[in-house]
Amino acid sequence: MNIQSILVVDDDENDQFICEYTIRKYDPSIRILKAFDGSEALDILHRETPDAIILDINMPVMNGFEFLDRYAEEFEVHAPVVAMLTSSHLGKDRERAMQYSFVKSYFEKPLQADHLRIMAELLDE
Amino acid sequence: MVSAWSWQRANVAASLWCIAVGLAMMALWLAEPAGLAARHPWLFGMKFNAALAFVVIGTALGLAARGHKRLPALMTVPVFLYGALALSQHLFGIDAGIDTLLHRPFVDIGTSLPGRIAPNTALCLMLVSLALALRAHSGRSGMLQVALGFIAFIIAAAALIGYAIALDFAHDWIRFTRMSFQSASCFVAVSIALIFAGTETAGYQRVTLAGMLGLATYLLLLAMSYYELGRYEASFGITFSRDGANARSTLSSLVLISGALYGGLVAHLYVSSRRARRMAADLAESRARLTAIIDNAVDGVITIDDRGIILSANAACRRIFGFSPEEMTGRNVNMLMPEPYHSEHDRYISNYNHSGEAKIIGIGREVEGRRKDGTVFPLDLAVAKLELDGTVIYSGVVRDISERKASEQALIEANAELEEFAYRTSHDLRSPIASSLGLLTISKDMLADGELTALGQTLGRMEQNFRRLDHLIQNIITITRNRLMEEEERPIALRTLVSEAIDALSHLEDSKRIRIENHVPAELTIVSKPSKFQVIVGNMLSNAVKYHDPKEAEPAIDIRAFRYAGKLRLSVEDNGLGVPPASRHLLFKMFKRLHPNRSFGSGLGLYILRKSAEALGGTALYEARDKGSRFIIELPDGDRA
Repeated sequence: MNIQSILVVDDDENDQFICEYTIRKYDPSIRILKAFDGSEALDILHRETPDAIILDINMPVMNGFEFLDRYAEEFEVHAPVVAMLTSSHLGKDRERAMQYSFVKSYFEKPLQADHLRIMAELLDE
Repeated sequence: MVSAWSWQRANVAASLWCIAVGLAMMALWLAEPAGLAARHPWLFGMKFNAALAFVVIGTALGLAARGHKRLPALMTVPVFLYGALALSQHLFGIDAGIDTLLHRPFVDIGTSLPGRIAPNTALCLMLVSLALALRAHSGRSGMLQVALGFIAFIIAAAALIGYAIALDFAHDWIRFTRMSFQSASCFVAVSIALIFAGTETAGYQRVTLAGMLGLATYLLLLAMSYYELGRYEASFGITFSRDGANARSTLSSLVLISGALYGGLVAHLYVSSRRARRMAADLAESRARLTAIIDNAVDGVITIDDRGIILSANAACRRIFGFSPEEMTGRNVNMLMPEPYHSEHDRYISNYNHSGEAKIIGIGREVEGRRKDGTVFPLDLAVAKLELDGTVIYSGVVRDISERKASEQALIEANAELEEFAYRTSHDLRSPIASSLGLLTISKDMLADGELTALGQTLGRMEQNFRRLDHLIQNIITITRNRLMEEEERPIALRTLVSEAIDALSHLEDSKRIRIENHVPAELTIVSKPSKFQVIVGNMLSNAVKYHDPKEAEPAIDIRAFRYAGKLRLSVEDNGLGVPPASRHLLFKMFKRLHPNRSFGSGLGLYILRKSAEALGGTALYEARDKGSRFIIELPDGDRA
């Protein structure tokens, strides 16, 4: 099954650009939703549930982990694939993120087409 | 000193007494009142020569006491010579013609030859004149003076007592020649002055001397009565003992033995009293030493009984707890503990008394103490159990470890901060690089596709990334330099420094449409570290510019500074975006960016501001305005230095 929609949660405008470009190149038909911090992402998720979420950890206002807590608490239906995308590969952060049942993968920036392929496979499972 | 002064007065009294008695007697002899002599012959027991000698002695004694040396010493010479001559007349049965040289007596009373003085009087005159000569010459007391005075005293005192108890031999050493009671009284007075005045400086104890005087006089009187009894036996042919084998009576033997016993007893008492005094002094000294050790200990030392009542507390407790030792003694030791220990301590003690299971006794551990002002602080407590004479007391040694705890805490915080710093830098340093790597891949695609416009934009994004990275590294350098750099304090003209910081902002695009006003008074200076201060001011201003409100019609920044309650307050206020209430607790923390969609900050700006302010001994504060922010730093006012 192809990914229909992805929510990208990242405060960095350049990273948003890279994600958008990479996703477009991978599959132009994927609908891209953008949020610049956790609370914006929650607002979007109240309206709709995308197939996948790409989530940065370090963000102002509400960071990735705060977002995951709220997402776990407030939502019964979660996006099938939630992938962490961070610039540092720290074991501590990875362990913490993988404790959430809906977090399926953990990638290091920058986003690449391979990452999207893995996400598509995870969606098929 | 009071005692020395009173002995000085005794000296004066003795000298006046001798002069008065001497003059009175000379006057009597010169007046020749035959009727008076017939009715009261005892009045004329003192001879004219003796009276003159006492006038001389009294005068010499008075002069010596006033510090004269040569004159009183010379005055004693004729007295000594007269005494020696008078004595040798008795010893060798000669007549030197001195008895009536100055005055021919109109009546002979109590003497063998007209005007002749008794041998004991002559001897005493020699003794006191010699002692007085020594005193006058040296100006102070001495062993020989005391010894001479001592002999003169017991002779004269025995004579005086002899008058009182009708023991004739005490004053009549040879028949019909007696030491008059006037002379005896004068000798007693002079010898007391010689023995006691100034003896403290010669190292003799007055009480000891007085005891010895009493004892010697007593023994002399005893010996005299013994001799007198023997004389009566011989002259009247009486034998008191039945068998006649013992010439001396049992009675007189008893008197002698009792005297010896009395003497022995007095000596024993004296020796044991001295020993007791020495022991008491040793005990007092060792006790004082122990008290001094405990009182000067840095640690608090508290003893309690088995009910928790404080028995003693040393001086250090005042510094540690704020209570004086007097305030603590007699109260329950739980007064020094915060809750719940305060209420539970009695139970702890009874548990221990029942079970014997020690939680703290003999172990020692960190506990909490409560000061007089109610503040609670960490302290190290070591308790020891002491069993003394069947009673149990506990001694506790307490040490205030607030400082140690505070530095431990500071170390833990610094370490946590360092860890956070390492974590965040590893993330934030890589972040723009990872982003640039992604952009580089995209650029290659765009180049291959010939999309040059899009490529240009992507390169712009990469530049942005590198600028961010550079900014972050600059900030890290600032932090490191702030931490490591030793900087001298010097006076800073605040207004100039602010103006320079404003000029330095001109490269920021936004600063051109913002009204920035420097309200700092020109005369305001502060003694501080200039480059840290520059970092602070630069940070506050660039923050105000970065977080201005683009929608605000008249964006403005106002810088003010004034002295307030011994501190210098520098404030930068803007009408910009402000800080959302929910995020305010994160202000001044490391790597906190509080504004969405404005990711150009490193998240270190306010952290650097706080650290720099703290390095200058001050604090950084935030106040929300109706619109915008007011950042304040308060620094100790070093201007007065």
